[in-house]
Amino acid sequence: MNALLAVAQIKGPHLDWAGLSPLIALLGGAVTVLLLGLLRNRLVRRICVPLLTMLVLAAAAGLSIWRWHHAATLVSGALRVDDLSLLLGLVAIAAAAACVLLSLRAAAPAVAGEGEYHALLLSTVSGMVVLLAAQNFVTLFLGFELLSIPLYVLCGSELRRRGSLESGLKYLIVGSVGSATLLYGLALIYGATGSTDFSGVAAALSSGSLASDPLLLTGVALTAAGLCFKCSVAPFHQWTPDVYQGAPTPITAFQAVATKAAAFGIFLRLFDGALINAQPSWGPILAALAAITIIVGNVGALGQSSLKRMLAYSSVAQAGYMLGGVLVSTRLGLQATVFYLAIYLFMNMAAFAVIVARERETGEGDDIAGMVGLGSSRPLLAWPMTLAMLSLAGIPATAGFIGKVYLIDALVDGGYAWLAVVLVVGSMISLAYYLRVVAAMWMRPSAGVAGARPIMAGGSAEAPTATRLSGLEVSVVAALFGAATLVFGIVPSPLLSLARDAGKALTGIF
Amino acid sequence: MSSVVFFVAAIGVLAGAIGVVVLANPFYSVLALVAHLISLAALFLLLRAEFVAAAQVVVYAGAVMVLYVFVVAYVGGQDQPVRSSGPGLRLIAALFGAALLCELWIAVIGSSLKSLTEHGAPYTPGFGSPSQIGQLLLTRFLEPFEVASFLLLVAAVGAVILARRRRGLGDEDEERLPGFPAISVAEVLSGRVPTGSMAEAAGLGYEVGESAAGTRRQARGGW
Repeated sequence: MNALLAVAQIKGPHLDWAGLSPLIALLGGAVTVLLLGLLRNRLVRRICVPLLTMLVLAAAAGLSIWRWHHAATLVSGALRVDDLSLLLGLVAIAAAAACVLLSLRAAAPAVAGEGEYHALLLSTVSGMVVLLAAQNFVTLFLGFELLSIPLYVLCGSELRRRGSLESGLKYLIVGSVGSATLLYGLALIYGATGSTDFSGVAAALSSGSLASDPLLLTGVALTAAGLCFKCSVAPFHQWTPDVYQGAPTPITAFQAVATKAAAFGIFLRLFDGALINAQPSWGPILAALAAITIIVGNVGALGQSSLKRMLAYSSVAQAGYMLGGVLVSTRLGLQATVFYLAIYLFMNMAAFAVIVARERETGEGDDIAGMVGLGSSRPLLAWPMTLAMLSLAGIPATAGFIGKVYLIDALVDGGYAWLAVVLVVGSMISLAYYLRVVAAMWMRPSAGVAGARPIMAGGSAEAPTATRLSGLEVSVVAALFGAATLVFGIVPSPLLSLARDAGKALTGIF
Repeated sequence: MSSVVFFVAAIGVLAGAIGVVVLANPFYSVLALVAHLISLAALFLLLRAEFVAAAQVVVYAGAVMVLYVFVVAYVGGQDQPVRSSGPGLRLIAALFGAALLCELWIAVIGSSLKSLTEHGAPYTPGFGSPSQIGQLLLTRFLEPFEVASFLLLVAAVGAVILARRRRGLGDEDEERLPGFPAISVAEVLSGRVPTGSMAEAAGLGYEVGESAAGTRRQARGGW
């Protein structure tokens, strides 16, 4: 009887509804969108479902902005909502909003079902929000899975295209290997430190010689490998080109940006937070991985004619740059990584929006031939693409330049000047393939007529429909993110101050 | 006594795991996996984790294995041997596996894990019991618990989306719409692209024949 009474008195944890509100908005929104999608009315499915999804994302973004500077630890230490998790969460939310706009007239939602497609998109964003705020291994792994599983399905959601299914299957298999590796690593870290909380791990590492314990280091290595799978850091990047190429282009755009933001967010939180005292052991190894990644990504991109494959290899290279900001374990490195993740949203989204437009307008798919003569025929699409390419390469007056300078500053400051040199060399190599796209758009004007011919040959009845399908919203996304690339390249201070706020979130680094 | 049980169970675990990968017949592989999981449950019992042991037997050795057996029986594995990778790949796989094994042994032996030579961490009565696990799930791990429930929902939705593919594979749309640009709004309007909902995908499975699918589309054309 006494035992029963004692059990009855157990109280649940205190719930800070305000702090949880962005997550609740996303999860509740996902269920509502799923239910709304069950209505058979075409108007509801084609218009109301994306509209409601946008509203949910706007609500989540608004609630995140409301919680800015209100750092709090939630649900008995499971989540930590601070400026770091909020800023990277906002990056994921913005990427999802762009993805919704880009998929308005895409085939994937129609084939997979609008409600299901958008609900999965919202759940993967909520997985990112959970992952970014995770404070113990259990939350980390569940957030990781909630991020991954909807993405596997979304990659394969264009069910009638072989490439899409192949992409989904490859991502599932490789992602599961990555998840298993991560889980194994987390279990070994738990075995070595006796705690699943980040704070407990940090406390265990701060005292004694545990930081060089082989069991802990094996766990750290396996955890890093699991996270590197998600960030597509070489040599765990082989899935990236195939998955990026096969997935529906709006999903590719989303996962290129948002998955990186979430994975690097937890990389920062785990390695620069909980495992900071073991940094002398894992720092040089991650530096070697970063150098390999920069070289492999940039050299791999050189020979690609498919723009999505090219951007996939480019994203591998960019992951190498950002890993540099993680491994120096300084506040400057943290800020540089967060800043780079934010501008990566702008440049990548602009590029992918143009690819979506050209995929619909030409019969070339995402081949670089679809870009030929774009400068004279469609300047509104050519300018965002040009800005995105120049920014990814790191040309001055674009946001990418500021981001790279920031990263190089952090690397030199953190004692990894050789990695900064690798970064610069990698950027030089990258000019070759980025400028190839720019050259195709602006320097070969005569090909505009030739580019139109396949459409005519394919069937004149289809041609006007195909041209119209490109849609206003795609151009708007391209123009918006392209403009942001330029604006934050010239006036970076607002974004820099946001990154500085986010950098204050972790207390163990200087 | 406990060490005898440990060694019997440990041998069962290892033999089962090796059997899964070595046996050529997928059906035997599944049975070896069952043996592996049950031995693992015995190890959990030795660690006084009764709940995990019970869950292992009920969920994995029971429910999940039944699904595996169904899949194996459905796909029929015997005509196609599972092992078909080239010799180079197998050599590399063996090398990597050996490297990982060495790494893990170094980690385990060289670690500060004291339980290898002693009796391990002290055991407090009630640790790992169902009531304590339930209590933790509703207090300290409330948030992961809720996220896990949502994860199951998402996995179910994803499975339904992918399962719906079956209906579309056999019909004439597959040839007509090989790639993405060919799907136009007009075809979405006329109902050629599958626009069904979850209930429909669950209800109308494989059995719906070509003609039935055709009439259903026509009947739905009105909206």
